[in-house]
Amino acid sequence: MAAAAKLPSLVNSAITAAKPKFNIFLQYAKVELTPPKLSDIPQIRAGIGKLLSNARSGAWKNLTVKQATLNTLVGMEVVFWFYVGECIGKRHIVGYKV
Amino acid sequence: MSNLPYGPPVKISPLIRFGRWSFLTAGILYGAFHQSRLSKKETKLREIEAKEKVVRDERLKKEKAIAAAAELKALEEMVATKK
Repeated sequence: MAAAAKLPSLVNSAITAAKPKFNIFLQYAKVELTPPKLSDIPQIRAGIGKLLSNARSGAWKNLTVKQATLNTLVGMEVVFWFYVGECIGKRHIVGYKV
Repeated sequence: MSNLPYGPPVKISPLIRFGRWSFLTAGILYGAFHQSRLSKKETKLREIEAKEKVVRDERLKKEKAIAAAAELKALEEMVATKK
């Protein structure tokens, strides 16, 4: 009973403690995590074109190992968002719950 | 922006942000599509199983009755031979 009575105050203090950090997170997220705007499309197109031309001309072979590793990691992270989306779409974490 | 503790936010390349968001939406659509496809398939299978279950239960019941009768008969024979 005592624990249940303490719960609202606990939640309130947790919220007040988390608020400043969350505001900081939001300020970063507004810049780093925003969906691409319509005005970004030319840059996106240029980026895709650069990626394709690098793949075609073999310029990707001239990267340093460090750069290549970083590019691979970034590419993996971007692709893993697909699986996050799949989990959201199927509304279950492991496997399809039918 | 200057009051941020970890320095100014990094400018993520629009290509990376576009990739993340498009993969995320593609994943959501893929997951939802396959979820509905597989659950439809499974409901069909469940219906078939429910039909088969009736038949199977009937058969098991009969087999059990036959086995019980045979056991009883064997026991009776054993008792009869011992006397």
